[in-house]
Amino acid sequence: MQGAILSGEDLSKIISTLVLIVVAVGASASLWIGVNLLFNQVRTSWTRFNALAGYAVGFLLLLLLQGNRLLKPHGPDADSITRLGELLWTPLLGALIFSALAVILANNDDQTRRLWIASGSGLLLGGFIGIRLAEDARPELEILPLLLSTIVIAGIGAGIALLRGRNPVPAALIGVALGWLIGGFGVPELGDGSALESAIAAAVPGLAIGARIGLTKNAGVVGRARIDAKSRGAIFLVPALFFVTVSLIAPTLITIWLSLKDEDSVDLVWFENYGSVFTDINSFDVGNWTNIFTSLLFVLGVLVGLGGLAIGLVLRKRTGDGFSAGGPAFAPLMIAMVMIVFGVLSVLRGTIMNNLWWVFTVTVFSTGLGLAIAVLADRAKLESVAKSIIFMPMAISLVGASIIWRLVYVARDTSKSQTGLMNAVWVELGRWSTGSGLPTVLGTVLVWVLVALGVASISRSLTSRTYDKIPLRALATIVLLWIAYRFTFDGIGGFRTNSAGETVPDTIFFVQDQPFNNVWLMVILIWIQTGFAMVIMSAAIKAVPTELIEAAKVDGATESQVFWRVTLPQIRTTIGVVVTTLIVLVMKVYDIVKVVTNGNFGSQVLANDMFEEAFLFSNTGVGAALAVILFVSVLPVMVLNIRRMQREA
Amino acid sequence: MSGNRPGVDTAIYGFLRRIPTGVLWMIVLLWSLPTLGLAVNSFRTRDNQRNAGWWNVWRDDGLTMENYDVVFSASATAGLKESLLNSFAIAIPATVIPIAFAAFAAYAFAWIDFKGRKWLFIATVSLLAIPLQVALIPLLRLYNFGSHWTIPFLEKTVTLIPDFDLVNTTTAVWLTHTGFALPFAIFLLHNYISELPSDLFEAARIDGADHFTIFWRLVLPLSIPVLAAFAIFQFLWTWNDFLIANTMAGTNPDAIATTIRIANLAGDFGRNEHLLPAAAFVQAFFPLVVFFALQRFFVRGILAGSVKG
Amino acid sequence: MKSRFLKLLALLFAFTLIAAACGDDDAADDGDDMAEGDDGDDIADGDDGDDIADGDDGDDMAEGDDMADGDISITVTGPERDESEAGAIQEVLGAWGDEHGIEVTYLGSADWEAEINVQVEGGNAPDISIFPQPGKLADFARAGHVVPLNDEAAAATAANWSEAWTVFGNVDGVQYGVPVKADLKSLVWYQPARFAANGYEVPETFEDFTDLVDQIAADGETPLCVGIESGQATGWPFTDWVEDMVLRQHGPDVYDQWVAHDIPFNDERIVSTMQAVLDLWTEDNVFASSGSIAATSFQDNGQPLIDGDCFMHRQASFFSAFMPEGTSFGDGEGEVNVFYFPDINGDRPVLGAGTLAAAFNDNDATMALLAYLSTPDYAEARQVSQATRKGGGATLSGFLSAAQGQDPSVYQPLEQSFLNVLETAAIVRFDGSDLMPADVGAGTFWTEGTSFVNGDITAQEAADRIEASWP
Repeated sequence: MQGAILSGEDLSKIISTLVLIVVAVGASASLWIGVNLLFNQVRTSWTRFNALAGYAVGFLLLLLLQGNRLLKPHGPDADSITRLGELLWTPLLGALIFSALAVILANNDDQTRRLWIASGSGLLLGGFIGIRLAEDARPELEILPLLLSTIVIAGIGAGIALLRGRNPVPAALIGVALGWLIGGFGVPELGDGSALESAIAAAVPGLAIGARIGLTKNAGVVGRARIDAKSRGAIFLVPALFFVTVSLIAPTLITIWLSLKDEDSVDLVWFENYGSVFTDINSFDVGNWTNIFTSLLFVLGVLVGLGGLAIGLVLRKRTGDGFSAGGPAFAPLMIAMVMIVFGVLSVLRGTIMNNLWWVFTVTVFSTGLGLAIAVLADRAKLESVAKSIIFMPMAISLVGASIIWRLVYVARDTSKSQTGLMNAVWVELGRWSTGSGLPTVLGTVLVWVLVALGVASISRSLTSRTYDKIPLRALATIVLLWIAYRFTFDGIGGFRTNSAGETVPDTIFFVQDQPFNNVWLMVILIWIQTGFAMVIMSAAIKAVPTELIEAAKVDGATESQVFWRVTLPQIRTTIGVVVTTLIVLVMKVYDIVKVVTNGNFGSQVLANDMFEEAFLFSNTGVGAALAVILFVSVLPVMVLNIRRMQREA
Repeated sequence: MSGNRPGVDTAIYGFLRRIPTGVLWMIVLLWSLPTLGLAVNSFRTRDNQRNAGWWNVWRDDGLTMENYDVVFSASATAGLKESLLNSFAIAIPATVIPIAFAAFAAYAFAWIDFKGRKWLFIATVSLLAIPLQVALIPLLRLYNFGSHWTIPFLEKTVTLIPDFDLVNTTTAVWLTHTGFALPFAIFLLHNYISELPSDLFEAARIDGADHFTIFWRLVLPLSIPVLAAFAIFQFLWTWNDFLIANTMAGTNPDAIATTIRIANLAGDFGRNEHLLPAAAFVQAFFPLVVFFALQRFFVRGILAGSVKG
Repeated sequence: MKSRFLKLLALLFAFTLIAAACGDDDAADDGDDMAEGDDGDDIADGDDGDDIADGDDGDDMAEGDDMADGDISITVTGPERDESEAGAIQEVLGAWGDEHGIEVTYLGSADWEAEINVQVEGGNAPDISIFPQPGKLADFARAGHVVPLNDEAAAATAANWSEAWTVFGNVDGVQYGVPVKADLKSLVWYQPARFAANGYEVPETFEDFTDLVDQIAADGETPLCVGIESGQATGWPFTDWVEDMVLRQHGPDVYDQWVAHDIPFNDERIVSTMQAVLDLWTEDNVFASSGSIAATSFQDNGQPLIDGDCFMHRQASFFSAFMPEGTSFGDGEGEVNVFYFPDINGDRPVLGAGTLAAAFNDNDATMALLAYLSTPDYAEARQVSQATRKGGGATLSGFLSAAQGQDPSVYQPLEQSFLNVLETAAIVRFDGSDLMPADVGAGTFWTEGTSFVNGDITAQEAADRIEASWP
């Protein structure tokens, strides 16, 4: 027994699980295909369509009544088998009657006869259902409200139809049916009435609806085509819309309502919760905004940006094309944007600012890296190996990812060996660059060789007249030069000078040191989401027609020109999908923050704040308000993005 | 100067040309390091994990399978087999059903003409921005009680959705996933399906094909790459989800998903955190299988794409 | 054409069947809802035996729940969840259930604090949950989510636990909670052999303690290990220190007023105590294994204590689980022991913590299980089971109970000394952050406390912000 991998109990569980899945999938599939096939009949066989549709309507209507115990039971205390039979036979009978009526109507084109048949059978059916209504569902009719509601609703229906320039009679008939139902069953006490009252209450709506149907003509070829087309839209959309309504729209409406109430969801406080969110110093702290201008990142960013701008303007004057993607001004401007945003957001603190920072950073880097990897891997050997490794983080659960990264970032007292990879490297780098042995000498040589390579690459661009690449290469060379300088003279990495003037190792508290601990948290999400961006964009790149690329190559385009001018425009909408999805996904990020810092050290984000308020602190109102803020703040970005994509497509 | 020595020049230029590929492999290396560390640590004892970095593994007194033994054999929350089964019972329908529904809807948004199509599409996709936490309590109540509506002023209650006694079942979990997955699925699939060449559809229409046939015979086969891409993500997300599985079925020992079992293994105050590396690999096994199994459909994307005009 | 029509008919038939099948469900459930005519806030189906969803709001359980009936099931949830804890609880409760013909299931949850709120709001509460925070239990009691103990369960609780403990489950004079586990927090871990080697003595008074700290520091060694990082709960070790110190410096009355918010959080006494804790944690006095107290995980302090990086570590009784593998407890060479975190006035106050079980319905079976949870039998059985699961022998189980009348021999010597401290304590106070509202106790007290320790804000600023967040 020990050796068996699956016991009988496991097997039975597997089987029951499988059956459940197959039944669930099968039932929804056959339902959906069935409806499709039903409407396929509209064009080819009008009678059959009517027969089947009548069958379905009759069955559903009576099933609804029967299922809600609104019809009289057959026996006083039926056991479950007769209950099932009852549940089946009444609707089946109803289905057949409705079906027969529909067939008769479908084959009768004479207007008067249609009207008589339809309204007559409507009256009879309504009356019969009324008589069969369960005793506790019979209304005790009150004439005044009955007439009042009938007249008012019918009047409204007719009025609207008139305003829209239509025939008021059909709308009035539907109004009569609705009004009579509401006045008959809605207003009075149920259960006190007689069979006659209940028959009257049900027969009049039957008559009205019957008459409304009788007024229609049998659809001609054009009408049938219209029914076919219109119904398809509904059939294809309804499954998705149903799920979306139940699981997203309804809860959202509830949340909006709750956000206007107090913490126990009792009293309406209107916008107080929103006020408390926005006035909380923790969600919004822009007091020291002037520090932005003294932030090194910001200043350098502005300088690089101005450089990029200058290059772009000069080029535009010369060639008319200064700022195109992939041009010489592109890289400096992009780098400048990142630096400026980082400079600004590292000064302005608070939950909302953190969210903005997260959205910007993770979206830009995940999309950029994902695209770069997808493109580079596309032409590399061992493509699937590279892609699999990049994808791997997605497969590791969030708990796993957080454990990994807490481990990567962890700092230890410098008297101990570092267990965190980042600090281990950082401290070693410090030792290396401040030491005086052979490794340090070799390191110095290495960094200056790298600088020389950078200079060589610039000179290569000059001699081969590929000026496009100079700005990026120059920037890279400047960074290398700075590193080399620091390595040679001051030292670089994890060290500090203690009070005795000695150089001792020093660690970085990646998770604790504000404000850049936020960036290290974002790195975790970038690590995970790059795989997402890569997979989607890789699929899109593979779908770019090879002929286009070959044609460009024949025209003498280099690989990078092919990418910027052929591939990129082809996958633009896919990039749009990735960017939009990432913005939303990042806006909702909470688990990484929750597991790693739980909002400590100035790293709080909206979703974690909301989770805490709603589920831990029982502040339903504030929690709901945070959810609404979260939703509303990304909405414009999303709508604009999708609109733009729709226009481009 | 460099012109005098073409050898050096060519060598430098060759080096520069290889930089992009070099960058790719650098990124790949960086990306794999944390996972590598996790893999190594999964074979180390708790005290070794705490006291020395994983790259010092060669100094340890041997590797241990103990962590894996515990992960495989733990049964206090649920056995490994049971929890894996439950995760499959959640992840498979939660992947298949949204794909079907989203494909229908994406096709309708892309190729069936009706009024307000663009705005309905935008509205549907915008729901992506809703944080799913807001839906937890309402949905739990729905699975628990059904949905009832008391008509204002009349004080009469109407049953909108009956109580199917779904709470604490895996069905409740995948139904929830289905709803949450649809906006993204529709977005992704629509982007692909709407770019299929329109002449294909016109030709089929002229042949008398109805929407259902076109969808079934043309759109589905041509969309396999994007369906595979979505299937990978959806399987991953549902497989690795903790919040929904815990909320909808977390108090039924017969419906425990692997993520809940693993979170429980760690213990309060992270007492057994040293088990998590091993657990993370056990957990990641099936998503990786799905990724490798479906990855080959991306290559077929070329075939499908070549139909494009 | 004909075959297509046949397919259609087959589908129609299938549809009819499905609809009928679903319809049956509707009928059964709807009928009940309609008949009772309320707004659906109740679950019917109490007779549905194998269904754990039974535990609903509990205001209308069906009469079918009788102790003699073999089909009853009880679900218990709680934050204790690892293999040995959850396994032990399940074993003991399962055995009790077998005896009474009841199926008892225990499920630990990694996210208990949030999950229980969602389950209650969603109408899916378990029958019993184990609360680590009396504050939360009180909130739930006042909101009407949990039900008071019935007479038998209340009597059993009163008989088995001293009033010092039962009071934590008492809300506004009504007993709701049954204590099931006790942790002892006023403890200092140390290595007796190293103390002896350096000529240090276990301090008897708080003054001795601070003198010892100064002396060790003067000797060029590091007296204390401190780390307050704990992932999601970062900051709690700091709150424990503050509570222990408030209890010592200002006495139990001020402590009670403080946690009950009768005095504001930013009362000058509290602010001065917060400052006193930080003053003790100077760079010379503290070894933080990561180089900063806020960044050091509290669990990483076991190894340094063994290695001799520090001499003392003030931490709760359950810290034994975080000692390196193979650590043995006692006074021998290389062994670890504890001493009572000394007091100032000689009143020997003890800071404790623990868990309380409370029920979401008042079925007979549920109440009988609660009564059992209060007994020494439960404590002994769980201790034995948990110790065995941890490896048996001299391994500490991590479990401790202050139920009266337990057989001490089921505990290891160190655990017996914990029990001894608990029993001899004149003043027992529950961990204050667990008594305060979650906004503070599991929120700002942790986060602002961490900022304070990290040097980002002053004690006054931290206390002001915590006070402002008090709901």
